[in-house]
Amino acid sequence: MTKGLNGWIRVLVMVLALVVIVNSSLSEEYLSVRNQINLFQLSIEKVIVALMMTLVIINAEIDLSVGSMMGLSACAFGWLFQETSLSAEWAILVCLIIGMLGGALNGVFVAYAGLPSLVVTLATLIGFRGLARVLVEDRGITDFPEWFDAIGQTGLIGPVPFSLFAFLLLFAGLYVVLHKSGFGRKTFVIGTSRDVAVFAGIDTARHKMILFIGSGMVSAFAGLLYAARVGAVRGDVAFGFELDIITMVLLGGVSIFGGVGSMFGTLMAILIVLNLRNGMALLNITGHIQTGVIGVLLITSVIATRLDLGRFRLRKENAG
Amino acid sequence: MCEPLLRLENVTKRFGMTTALQDMSLDIFSGEVHAIVGENGAGKSTIIKIMTGIHQTTEGRLVIDGTARNISGARAARDIGIAAIYQEPMVFPDLDVAENIFISARSGWFLNQAQLHAEAQRLLGRIGIALDSSSIASGLTLAAQQAVEIARALSQDVRILIMDEPTASLSAHEAKQLRKVARTLAEEGVAVIYISHRLEEIFDIADRVTVIRDGIHISTRPIGDVTSEGMVSEMVGRDVGNYFVKAPSTVTSNSLLRVEHLTREGIFSDISFDLMQGEVLCMAGLVGARRTDVALALFGINPSSSGQIFYKGRQINPSCAREAMDAGIAYVSEDRRKLGLAMPMSLRSNVSLATLRSFVGRWGFLDQSLERMTALEYRDRLNIRAPDVELSVGMLSGGNQQKTMLAKWLRMKPDVLIFDEPTRGIDIGAKAEVHALIREFVANGGGAIVISSDLPEVLAMGDRILVMREGRQMGIVNSTETGQETIMRLATGQASVEAA
Amino acid sequence: MLHRLSPQTIRILALLVVLLLVILFFSTQVPNYLSGRLFNRVSSSVAIMALIATAQTLVILTRNIDLSIGSVVGFVAFATGSLITDNPDLHWTLLVAFSITLGMFFGMINGFFVAVAKVPAIIVTLGTLALFRSVLVEFSDAKSIVTANLPTWLINFPNTPLLEIGTLQLRASFAVAVAVVLVVHIALSRIRIARKLYAVGSNPEAAEMAGINIGLTVFTAFVLSGALAGLAGFLFLARFGTITVVAGLGFELKSVAAAVVGGVNIFGGSGLVIGALIGAILVDLIDSSLVRWHLVSEFWREAVLGGLILLAVTMDTLVMRSLAVWRTARSNSKEDRRANVQSP
Repeated sequence: MTKGLNGWIRVLVMVLALVVIVNSSLSEEYLSVRNQINLFQLSIEKVIVALMMTLVIINAEIDLSVGSMMGLSACAFGWLFQETSLSAEWAILVCLIIGMLGGALNGVFVAYAGLPSLVVTLATLIGFRGLARVLVEDRGITDFPEWFDAIGQTGLIGPVPFSLFAFLLLFAGLYVVLHKSGFGRKTFVIGTSRDVAVFAGIDTARHKMILFIGSGMVSAFAGLLYAARVGAVRGDVAFGFELDIITMVLLGGVSIFGGVGSMFGTLMAILIVLNLRNGMALLNITGHIQTGVIGVLLITSVIATRLDLGRFRLRKENAG
Repeated sequence: MCEPLLRLENVTKRFGMTTALQDMSLDIFSGEVHAIVGENGAGKSTIIKIMTGIHQTTEGRLVIDGTARNISGARAARDIGIAAIYQEPMVFPDLDVAENIFISARSGWFLNQAQLHAEAQRLLGRIGIALDSSSIASGLTLAAQQAVEIARALSQDVRILIMDEPTASLSAHEAKQLRKVARTLAEEGVAVIYISHRLEEIFDIADRVTVIRDGIHISTRPIGDVTSEGMVSEMVGRDVGNYFVKAPSTVTSNSLLRVEHLTREGIFSDISFDLMQGEVLCMAGLVGARRTDVALALFGINPSSSGQIFYKGRQINPSCAREAMDAGIAYVSEDRRKLGLAMPMSLRSNVSLATLRSFVGRWGFLDQSLERMTALEYRDRLNIRAPDVELSVGMLSGGNQQKTMLAKWLRMKPDVLIFDEPTRGIDIGAKAEVHALIREFVANGGGAIVISSDLPEVLAMGDRILVMREGRQMGIVNSTETGQETIMRLATGQASVEAA
Repeated sequence: MLHRLSPQTIRILALLVVLLLVILFFSTQVPNYLSGRLFNRVSSSVAIMALIATAQTLVILTRNIDLSIGSVVGFVAFATGSLITDNPDLHWTLLVAFSITLGMFFGMINGFFVAVAKVPAIIVTLGTLALFRSVLVEFSDAKSIVTANLPTWLINFPNTPLLEIGTLQLRASFAVAVAVVLVVHIALSRIRIARKLYAVGSNPEAAEMAGINIGLTVFTAFVLSGALAGLAGFLFLARFGTITVVAGLGFELKSVAAAVVGGVNIFGGSGLVIGALIGAILVDLIDSSLVRWHLVSEFWREAVLGGLILLAVTMDTLVMRSLAVWRTARSNSKEDRRANVQSP
């Protein structure tokens, strides 16, 4: 299994190398720092959530409500800012708490009531989006404080914006959590077999609860980044993002059945998706077609690893 | 009698290095109930799997109706007219009874519901079972689900019906009814192969009995020529001394674990025993004796409904594994694959699994070098044959997996260690090593409960032996004062003793 | 009495009761609520979702999921629209046949990857969700289908009243949808091989042992589901007339929601397409009723809907669990009584 994942990541690295080589032959601008930062900026909210989603899926669950939570958090920020006397700083805090509560709602139903996460988060996908619409109705809210917009739009250190730092920091943090901490180990064990975890005395329900709360909070945070970057919020902020995010995670070699995956794989998949999109944009290929190409890449990569695993199994049988 | 319906001719089946069946020959005639008996692991399920096309023979052949046939899979077996039912029925939980019976029937495009249900009722009537054919299968009792499976077999014109421990999970009344069904079918000309641990059942319905032991055919006799004593001694009849050396007892008089009237409603009742420091208490019994359920109650997975557990004199009431572990009780599961080990993960991470907390330092970091050192230490101490501790445990042999599981729990340094079938499916060498480890554990002041179906092992390992049968405690015997036959008689309900 | 009914029947009855309660509730809240217009409005908007929920149900029954269904609907609507725009005299039967065949083709692609290449359905259809949409974008060449270029028979079709009782109209699109759902429902309960969909989803291992070809069954489910999605694409074109490249976006999750509310088990093996139909109606009814309820703003629609789905699924799970426990306890106690009689 680990071997399969390593093979997958090797394939991802090669694909990435190929994309980078082709892209740099297409445009001289491509490898410039500005372009590289830009291509991250365009999807920064999605890739941040994809990092957290990696843990959720390795734990053999799924969170479809992330896009709606991003929308809810962005809209809640807009509403609090416009309709209440709350300062933007406090509004940010309230939004993160909303993310926590929303995640906890998912967690309670999945971890303690034992309902399938696919169904629970499908319901909250609709519900959170609904709450976002309740808050802003059909308006667009804009004119946020300058410092808030600046967070999303201008460089924090040199040309590198805050959101990119946030991404790198979250990647480093989650890398440590997943691969270097007891919590991460439990994430893998529960995803591999919930029964084995229960028999080893691990509180699996609490673990799942924490992951869903984390997923809600990261989504709320990403929603705020979106508001800052675009400088305006509407009811449909981050609509449909969930499927793009899950695609990135699965492309990174995370098993939809849980137990297998790595932060590095997800990072590779993120880089591939972003650079591939950038390259296709250089070739004047539109957004929907870009998504289609990534869809094909997802299916073929699964089949490719399957074939590789098949060979591996054959070898083992011959040996034994 | 005329020509046999099914004949196994000198069948040998090997899995890698182990031989499951050795030169097995067997005749099955239509109209007979043919019982096959033997200890756990004697090769009964291998015979079934060969007959139902799940396994192919390594040597020898199957002769059906006088011609040699190859049964390539479930479909081929069905076409010949071979069906099997098991302790756990294979039904479609969401479909109703009639649909379950006719799911793979091949007549016509459309379902005539009325006709379907009438036909289902007819088949159920034929085996004397009153069952509403429109009930959903998930709501049925196990007995009813088995009846559905038998009716399905009948709808496919079954000629050989294999029943593998069909009554292990049934109540006395249900079991009796099932035996009646088997008898009825035999009278209609079906060959019934009946596998059961319950000897009284075999005397109730079998025409002939075949005893197998260690994959070898021992005897086939008409039921009239068999006594239960003879059958038991043929089943267990091997020289114990050749395999296991009895270690000196280290029992002390300090009680570690005291269990009083432990009961889980509908599963087991009134289990009472004392486990001393330095003692190995074996739990013996047959399939369906509910020994594992007692262990799971002690380990907090499926808590008991009444009765008390005293741990070193203090009453405990574990409601999850963590609580039992915090007290000092560990449980080495019988099901390595599903409950014991995270198979794709490394040896290192499996060894540390139960004691993960002790590897977590400040800020929640996992001390992976300590983890690695620990894993290496246990690998060497337990003689786990793995070149490196980063190897995934799925790649190891059964015996080494078993030792990995032991390492996981020994690292916890428990006082009470419950072993569930610790040597099942591992080779003799590894068995001896596991025994030595258990002995070492109790010699160092622990107490072990060993659930085992291997009688020589039970006698060699156990200081005392608690025998269970169908959720009840049949007695506790001293291993030095007893033999395999006594235990077998207790386990099959032919005798009982007062709790020692 | 309760124990005689199958869980499915209980579910359908419960859904109907909820449907009735919702109608009663809103009739006390909204003036002139109970009118022919309510029926007409809901019935014409629910037709497409009913078909898609049915299509989704077929796949879910086999323990799979189809996330590409919205893209299929969008593509078929667009392709059918451009076909009739280019050939305005094409006979309607050919047009419908074209929609369905095209839908089946997409179903085959999904089915192939799931059943033959054995890639998990959620991954395959996540991929084809994007792929089919991008094929549509390429195919459309940045143009849209506009109502003005469509023949009038097609535009008028969805709202053609087939039957009028007072102000109640049975409109053609709803009639088609209900007819199709009923046909599928009857087929699923009456055709021998259709039961295999349930068998495969209910217990794959037992299905294998019973000699059922699991791959073929799953493939068939995807193809049939594609056919229904194709028909839904046709209705989509007729209803909206103007088709852009975003047609059908988001249908994949809505269809899963309707099926789940309708009592279809997300893990396969149980559920009725009638349930999915009622689920779709319930969702649509609440949606369109909230718009008219002055107490809350119309923007509460989705929030209420999400809460409702969660409530429905939780209730369903809890009720079914306790029903199972109750039934087991009941049969056990019966056994115990018998056993007691036997052994003194």
